[in-house]
Amino acid sequence: MRGIVIGLVVLGAVVLPAQRRRAGQASGLSLPEEAVAEGRKVYNQTCTVCHGVDGTLGDRGPALAGNRRYLRSTDEELLEAIRDGIPGTLMPPAGLSEEVVRKVVTYIRSLRVTAYDAPVKGDVARGEKIFWEKGQCGQCHVIQGKGGLVGPDLSNAGAQRTMSFLREALTKEKPRPPRGYQPVRVVTAQGQSVTGILKNEDSFSLQLLEANQKLRMFDRAELREVVYDAKSPMPSDYDKKLAPQELEDLLAFLSRQAVTRVRRQQLGDPQP
Amino acid sequence: MRIALVLLAAGTAAAQVTYSDLLKADPNNWLSYQGSYNAQRHSALKQVHTGNVSALAPKWIYPIRGAGRLEGVPVVVDGVMYVTQPNEVYALDARTGRVIWEYRRQPALQRGVNRGVAVYGNKVYFGTPDAYLVALDARTGAMVWESKLAEAKDGYWCPVAPLAIKDKIIVGIAPGDHGLNGWLDAYDPETGKRLWRWHSIPKPGEPGSETWSGDSWKTAGGDTWLTGSYDPELNLIYWGIGNPAPDFDGDVRKGDNLYTESMVALDAETGKLQWYFQYTPHDVHDWDAVEIPVLVDAPFKGQMRKLLVQGNRNGYYYVLDRTNGKFLHGSPFVKLLNWASGLTEDGRPVRVPGVEPTIQGNKVCPPTAGATNWMSPAYNPDTGWFYLGALEGCGISYKAADKFRPGGFPFMATGYVESPAEPWQMHVRALDLTTGKIQWDYKQIASRGYGAGLLSTAGGLLFAGDDQGSFTAHDARTGQALWHFNTGQKISASPITYSVRGKQHVAIMAGSNVIAFGLHEPRP
Repeated sequence: MRGIVIGLVVLGAVVLPAQRRRAGQASGLSLPEEAVAEGRKVYNQTCTVCHGVDGTLGDRGPALAGNRRYLRSTDEELLEAIRDGIPGTLMPPAGLSEEVVRKVVTYIRSLRVTAYDAPVKGDVARGEKIFWEKGQCGQCHVIQGKGGLVGPDLSNAGAQRTMSFLREALTKEKPRPPRGYQPVRVVTAQGQSVTGILKNEDSFSLQLLEANQKLRMFDRAELREVVYDAKSPMPSDYDKKLAPQELEDLLAFLSRQAVTRVRRQQLGDPQP
Repeated sequence: MRIALVLLAAGTAAAQVTYSDLLKADPNNWLSYQGSYNAQRHSALKQVHTGNVSALAPKWIYPIRGAGRLEGVPVVVDGVMYVTQPNEVYALDARTGRVIWEYRRQPALQRGVNRGVAVYGNKVYFGTPDAYLVALDARTGAMVWESKLAEAKDGYWCPVAPLAIKDKIIVGIAPGDHGLNGWLDAYDPETGKRLWRWHSIPKPGEPGSETWSGDSWKTAGGDTWLTGSYDPELNLIYWGIGNPAPDFDGDVRKGDNLYTESMVALDAETGKLQWYFQYTPHDVHDWDAVEIPVLVDAPFKGQMRKLLVQGNRNGYYYVLDRTNGKFLHGSPFVKLLNWASGLTEDGRPVRVPGVEPTIQGNKVCPPTAGATNWMSPAYNPDTGWFYLGALEGCGISYKAADKFRPGGFPFMATGYVESPAEPWQMHVRALDLTTGKIQWDYKQIASRGYGAGLLSTAGGLLFAGDDQGSFTAHDARTGQALWHFNTGQKISASPITYSVRGKQHVAIMAGSNVIAFGLHEPRP
C-alpha cells in the first residue's frame, strides 16, 4: 500500500542511517569521472563478494568506503594491494592489467571522498536558505537541533556521505524506505489507528514515532493491523522542483554539514 | 589441617563419555554437535512444555571475550558444558555458567568460525584455524595431543565440530572456495593417528574423475565444513560435500563435478564410499550441500524405510533411502526458486536455461546464501514433521575470469549481491517428512539474514531464533510463538537442551554470549 500520510508534509533529503549502506560513485570531484565509472564497473564484478557492493561491508573483507580510517590510503598502496594481493590474508591478486587496476583505485578513492572534501560548486548561503524555505527540507530533517524529526539528522551529512550519495538522495527514487524511516499505520485491537514512522520492529514488538512526534511502543499481539508504506517518504524530484543552480546550492550547503570535522579540528586532530 | 588427595591414575578413572553413551544419547546430556547420531535434534525432555514455556527465563549468561557472532553448539556432559570460539575451548558449570577451565591455542591464527567440540572417553576434540585436530583432557583442558589435518599456509582451516563414533574421531575441512580440495578423516581418539582419509575429489582414473574436464580436479573444492550424521547399524557416516571451485564460473570445470554438492555415505571402518547422491550437478551458485543429513526410520508410501532427509541450500527438500542413496522425493521448500523447473525421477534438477552467473549479473533464486544453510534443522517424531529455517529472496550473481593461486586465496570467479527487487526474508517452516508439503510457515519479521538453527522437544516445542536477537519457542504443531526472549544480539547458532539435578535447561549461543534458560522458580 502506498501513500500513508504522516500528517507532516514529507519533504526533504533522506540520508540512510549510519549502519546502512554507504553507496554511490563519485561525481563533482576532482577525480576523472570516466575512470571512476569504469573502475566501478570492474570493482562490482570482481571485488563484491569480499568487500561488498560499492565498497560496503562484504562477507570476507573490510568495507572500502565509509566513515573509518584505512590501512592503505595512497593510490600506490591501493594499487599494490589490488595488483599483488595481500600476503597472509584472503586478499588475492586481481589478475587485471595495471591500467584497469588504476581505474579501480580511482573508483575506491572516489568512494572515500566525502562531500565535505569534495569541491563545492554551489553557494552555501543560498543553499541554506533553500534548505529551510523552498526545499522545505527542515520539515523532516534536523540540523544542529533545528528542524523536523521524521527524517535523519543531517548535521554531519557532509562528513559521512559522498556528494553523489547526497545527489542521488535528492533526485533518484529509492526502491524502499530506509530502515528506521518507513511510514507505517497500525490499528490497535481497540480500533485506534496510529500513523507514524517505523523506528524498529521484530516479531513481537513495534516502535514508532507518531505524527504528533510522540514515541509509541506496541506489542504486536495488541495490534489488529500493521500497514507498511512501501514507498520512501523522501521526495526524489529535487532536480525538477529546484533550478539546476539551486540544487547545486543545496548540495553545497549539505556538504558543509560536518560537526565531527569541526570537533576534530577543534581538538587539533589532523586526521580527516 | 592437611587435606590428603588420593589421586587416581588416569587409566583407572571412569570415562566421561563412552560409545554406548553416544548410542543411547541420554536426553539429560547433549553429547555432540547434533545431540544424537541421527541428527534429529529432538530431545525427549518435556519438563518445559507448551503449557509452561511462558515461564522460561534466563538462568545465566557467559560472555565469550572477543567473540563476534558465535556459530557453535554447546556440548553438555553430566553437568559440564563445553563451548568454543576459534582457538578457544571453555568448560562451564552447566547449572551456573561458572568457568571450570579454559584453553587458548597460541599463536591464535584468526580464520573462520568454530562450531564446537566432540567428547569421547575423557577427551574433548576440536578443530583449529591452523588446521589441527586437538585433543584436550575433558577434566582440566590440558592438551593431550594434536594432529595436523592440513597445511594452514596452503589456506586450510577447520571450523568443523568433530563427530565421535566407536574408536574414531571424524573430522572435515574448509575452505573449498579457495580451490582447495576437501576430504573426510578418521583419527584414533587415543593417539591422534590418522586411520583413513576419503578424498571428496576423485583423482584421474578413479570413478567420478570423468566428471571433471582437464586438470580442473586439481583445484576443485568439495570441502566438508559441517558435521554429518551416523547410522550405527549400517555403520555408515553421512556427510554433505561443499561447492566446486571456482564457485561462479563452471566453464573451466565442465562436467558434473563429483562429489561436490553431494551427500556421501562412507563405511565408518574403512572410509570407503558406499553411495553418493548429487543434489546440484555442475553447481555455479556456491550451494554447498553440507546441510545436515537427518536420519529417520519411517514409512514411505506404505513401506518402512531408512530415510535420510535434507533441506538443501538450492531450495529443494530431499528424501533419500539411506541404505543405498536412492532418490525417493524432492520438492521446493521456498517459493522463490527460478533455477530449476523440477527434478527428474532420479532427483536430478531440470535446469532453467540461462539462470547462471554472468559478467553483467543475473538474477538467481534462491541466492548464493542459500534457501537454508548451516543452521540445524530438526525432526519431531510426534508430529512427523521436518523443521527448517528458510530464506526467501534472490541474488544477483556475477562471474569473471579467475586463476587459482596457491597460498590460500579465494578462487571464486566473483560473487553475488542481494537482489534489490527481492529483499531477503527469513522463515521457519514445518514440512511433512515424506511429501515435503509445508505444514506451517512462521515469518520472522524484520529478519533478513539467516541465523539460528532449531531444536525440537517432547514438550511439543520447537525452539528457534533470528537475526533480530529473539530466541523463540513455538508450538510444534502450529508454529505459533509461545515464548520469546530478546538476547540483544543476532543469533547465528543452534539451541540445545539438557537437564541438571532434575531441571531442564535450554541453551544457545547468541552473538558473543552463551545463555542458558530454565523455568522460573518463584521463591517459596
